[in-house]
Amino acid sequence: MEQILNRIKDKIEIKISTKKRDDLYFFTVEKEQIEFILSYLKEQENFTHLAFMQAVDYLEDGKFQLTYMLYNYKIHINLGVNVLIDRKKAEMFSMHKLWPHIWQYQREIHELFGINFPGSPRVNESFVLEGWEEIPPMRRDFDTLEYSEKTFYQRPGRSTNDPKEYMKEKMYKNYADTPTIRREK
Amino acid sequence: MKLKDILSPLRVWERAAQKPWTIKDPINDRPGATNYRGFHKNDFNKCIGCGSCEEICQNAAIDLVPVEGQETKDGNSGLRPMIDYGRCCWCALCVDVCPTGSLTMSNKYTWVADMPEEYRFVPGKTETKWQESEKGYKRSEDIHLIDYERVEMLEIKPEKRDKSFIEIVKGYNKEQAMKEAERCLECGICIATCPAHMDIPAYIAAIREDDIENAFRILYETNPLPEICGRICTHKCETACALHNNGESLAIRWLKRYIADQIPSEKYKEVLGTEHLDDPKIGKSIAIIGAGPAGISAAYYLAIMGYKIKIFEALPDSGGMTRYGIPEYRLPYDQIDKDIEYIKSLGVEMQFNTRVGKDITLDKLHKDYDAVFAGTGLHLGRSTRIPGADNKRVYFATDLLREVSLGNEIDVAENIVVIGGGNVAMDITRTLARLQNKKYGKIQILTTSLESEDIMPADREEIVEAREEKAIIDPGWGPKEIEIQNGKIKGLHVVKCLSVFDEEGRFNPKFDDKQKKFFKADMVVESIGQGMDLSYLSEDIKSNLKFGPRGRIQVNENFQSNLKWLFVGGDIIQGPDVIHGVANGYIAAKAIDGFLNKNDKRRKK
Amino acid sequence: MNRMSENKYKGFEADRSKYPEMKDGKPVIDLESHKYTKIWQGPQHPGVTGNMALELIIDGDEVVDTKTRVGYLHRAFEKLMERRRYIQCFPIVCRICVPEPDTNEYCVSAAMEDLSGIVVPEKAQWLRTLNLEMSRVGSFLMWLGGQAGSIGMGAIGQWTVGMRDFWLDLFEEMTGGRVYHMYMIPGGVRKDLPDGFKDRARDLIIRTRKLLVNIENTFFNNIIVKSRLKGLGIITPEMVDEYGIVGPNARASGRECDIRINNPYVKYGELDIKMITSNGCDAYARAELRYQELLQSLDLVSQILDKIPEKGEIQAKLPNVLHWKIPAGQTYVKAESTRGEHGFYMVSDGSEFPRRVFARGASYTHAISLLEKLAVNISISDTAALMVSLHTCPPEIER
Repeated sequence: MEQILNRIKDKIEIKISTKKRDDLYFFTVEKEQIEFILSYLKEQENFTHLAFMQAVDYLEDGKFQLTYMLYNYKIHINLGVNVLIDRKKAEMFSMHKLWPHIWQYQREIHELFGINFPGSPRVNESFVLEGWEEIPPMRRDFDTLEYSEKTFYQRPGRSTNDPKEYMKEKMYKNYADTPTIRREK
Repeated sequence: MKLKDILSPLRVWERAAQKPWTIKDPINDRPGATNYRGFHKNDFNKCIGCGSCEEICQNAAIDLVPVEGQETKDGNSGLRPMIDYGRCCWCALCVDVCPTGSLTMSNKYTWVADMPEEYRFVPGKTETKWQESEKGYKRSEDIHLIDYERVEMLEIKPEKRDKSFIEIVKGYNKEQAMKEAERCLECGICIATCPAHMDIPAYIAAIREDDIENAFRILYETNPLPEICGRICTHKCETACALHNNGESLAIRWLKRYIADQIPSEKYKEVLGTEHLDDPKIGKSIAIIGAGPAGISAAYYLAIMGYKIKIFEALPDSGGMTRYGIPEYRLPYDQIDKDIEYIKSLGVEMQFNTRVGKDITLDKLHKDYDAVFAGTGLHLGRSTRIPGADNKRVYFATDLLREVSLGNEIDVAENIVVIGGGNVAMDITRTLARLQNKKYGKIQILTTSLESEDIMPADREEIVEAREEKAIIDPGWGPKEIEIQNGKIKGLHVVKCLSVFDEEGRFNPKFDDKQKKFFKADMVVESIGQGMDLSYLSEDIKSNLKFGPRGRIQVNENFQSNLKWLFVGGDIIQGPDVIHGVANGYIAAKAIDGFLNKNDKRRKK
Repeated sequence: MNRMSENKYKGFEADRSKYPEMKDGKPVIDLESHKYTKIWQGPQHPGVTGNMALELIIDGDEVVDTKTRVGYLHRAFEKLMERRRYIQCFPIVCRICVPEPDTNEYCVSAAMEDLSGIVVPEKAQWLRTLNLEMSRVGSFLMWLGGQAGSIGMGAIGQWTVGMRDFWLDLFEEMTGGRVYHMYMIPGGVRKDLPDGFKDRARDLIIRTRKLLVNIENTFFNNIIVKSRLKGLGIITPEMVDEYGIVGPNARASGRECDIRINNPYVKYGELDIKMITSNGCDAYARAELRYQELLQSLDLVSQILDKIPEKGEIQAKLPNVLHWKIPAGQTYVKAESTRGEHGFYMVSDGSEFPRRVFARGASYTHAISLLEKLAVNISISDTAALMVSLHTCPPEIER
């Protein structure tokens, strides 16, 4: 595996490369290099099996991280290729020419993360969310709790108590509040 | 096409003759497995209502509700989990996390009710047919979702410490503190038990987040003596800790010390935001008698509220009992100074070597100041009054401890017997042992108490450490007589003490006169409790003051005596310990503020 | 009926002259022409594996185009986990697959352990292996009944599901739950084996083997089964990579891809286990292969029962789970379920909550891309058999 990594490093610049386990490696490449690196890995280095492709939302950094998880049946090693793309311009090249079945991951990510894959077959078809009107739900800024409270009816009659507050109420209700410090204005 | 492929399937009929696998009456014939995760059971005798089950429930199926007959008391919120079986997913995480082990599951899984609301109930309160069921899921002893073991506190080894007064406990480092802070369940049950009601879970959470400055601010909300309390607090909170039910309680005291230790004195004002206190324009001033924890605490909170404070202290330095009653190896003087110097820097004046009632009268304080707070503490020793106790080589523990702190030489004898089983007795034992070791190179000190070992009031670790330092602790004996020959002490005669308290819980020791012992000694120290010194009250004031039981000044819940301008708190009212003093001072400070402002309004009208 | 049995790949290269013309890889279907009928198979239909629907366009009784429709049981497990503490994730994941929940439990626990560097004790590893292998037995039994049922042999379905219940009894004893076991907690497992468990398990293995002899006689040596399954749903070896096919589906096309052997996890490395492959490529080959694997799993269970140490810790010490923070990082943990590669991709950002958890189920490709491809040109009566022969499981598609 080290040899393969060295060979790749000869070809392109790899930003971050980590060995997670003996059979699991990750590295990060630039968006523009992804087409080249994936076809190189598939054709030349026998990473023929695409286990999955997924996205992670880094809301704070304004990035999406896409992960292509490849597997090599010869040396039995998983390799995750990460790409960071801009959250505002969420668009990625479609890889359906390399692996025909990737279209469904791309369709799912398009629906759940709102990342577009121009040219990917059936990318605009709905996957699990028919008639969805909110923002793509797997994005970090989608608040599931708020959505469920808005959408669903809660059976009434439930209330809970915080032991801390409850014990204060019962045992030392009149205990004075902390005095405010009188600072110079 | 093979003939076999046509004939072979006909063997399907073989099974027609076999006995069926089905069970006729599965509900009765086939109970759930011993380990089955069925409906919950809750043992109310064990449950403390900490809410860890609610916290861990990933379906939000658990509510904490008050239950009739369950009292809210120290270490028990009186709340009990109510489970919504419309949401419960039977994962039993609540059972695994339960720190008391009260919550378990039965092996019953079938139940029919008409109303959906009936599937929402409090296990243990609602009558269920499975509450008594023996079978069902219980947390295996081998798995832990919470850590029941405390991070070990490093201490200086007995051989190294028994000659010197250097601090024994080393304190946590960052890694240890973070690890210990992680154990907190954040239930908040400890807060009610802490006399100062410090927000313990909040400052521990701040440690976890490594936001020490915030943690420090939380400490100062209700306790201005964190360095002192972080070392020698009686930590009632740790007894109430939910983890205490099944393992070692959280080291709350050491964590408090960790926070205070991280902030250097020069940063105190900056962190607490007291760099630019408003000049006391209120124009009111308050006199405080005694620079002990109660007085200092009151002074701090009054000072940040903008009052002018002057403390009158009989002894040459501040701290009261924390300095003059607690040995240096437990609480180094520089740490006391660290706490108190900060309070001094806020403009609190301290006048030492001034005994109120002798050097200045209380009446004058009343005249010169708007209010007076007295936190004078318990400094007088109590005597056993047994024959021989009037010998000059019989001492009070408090007097000796004070002498040591003042730096005065003590005539330590070769053989010493200490009478008493509290923390003060341990303090004097270990102090004298060190002095003996310095002087004679060996330790011959014996401590005896009325209480047997299991009910000795001293902290467990104090007893263990005293023994590590080669002092002999022989509890369960009642002192009878100090034998004296030619004015010199020969030793102490004791008889076996059978019980200390009677059935009604009153102090009424019973002895077995047949079992006797004699402890050889040339010096005896009595440490059986302390008394208060009310000599600062003039006769006039005394006759006007109301007194409660056991000679204590009667105060209301704000520590105000019936003389409206006089507030009293600390060991003479509650305790004795530091944290009660701190709490009393805090409440009194707020009350004084309220009292003076009220007067204000009246004058304006 | 046995139209395809002579020529293995005929179904794949079928004559499409009477079918709609293809444009951009999509058939152009004019429903107005009244030549085609559009019907839905599922989501409530005994012939589909779970709540999934096939949108079939048929010409007579032959399928000319199909689309897989999911979304009927989307619970957003992955999103739910982003709102939960790490420990709270483990009761959720087992619900991603009903017949075989343990693989999910294993993967999610192992991913957390991998990210936080927790080493699982020896005994717990063995118990996990036992649990995983037992769940494979249970899942295969259920599948076997399904495969038989899909071509009308309901009796075998009764037998295997009945037998599976005895395996569930074992699970109940071992874990406290019949279907959702919630046994593998991060750091280890929750309970040791109860007394007498091993004897009862060995006894059940014998009973299961006895039943399997019956099934071999009635199902595999059956002219009807052979004629219906042979030649159905041919997966050529080239399609394996193209469609990301894994598990028995790929092994029946000659691909050596058993994770238990290629990348041994828990204690599989210490067991005597052989790769089973076949070159049949069709539904019958897959059925036979699964049957062989079921026998192999029974053998593995008895091997494991012999090897489990009596004593030992069952859980590594966890930090207080209420504040459990996992260092930032990403990992992918996979295990061999009865359907193939089942994995969890977990990303942590160093907080108390996972940043992203992704469950990779084998059915994701099997039931969508592959099924849509294979279903074309077959008789509508074979769609159920085809679907079951791919062993699809909708919950792991939509998660």
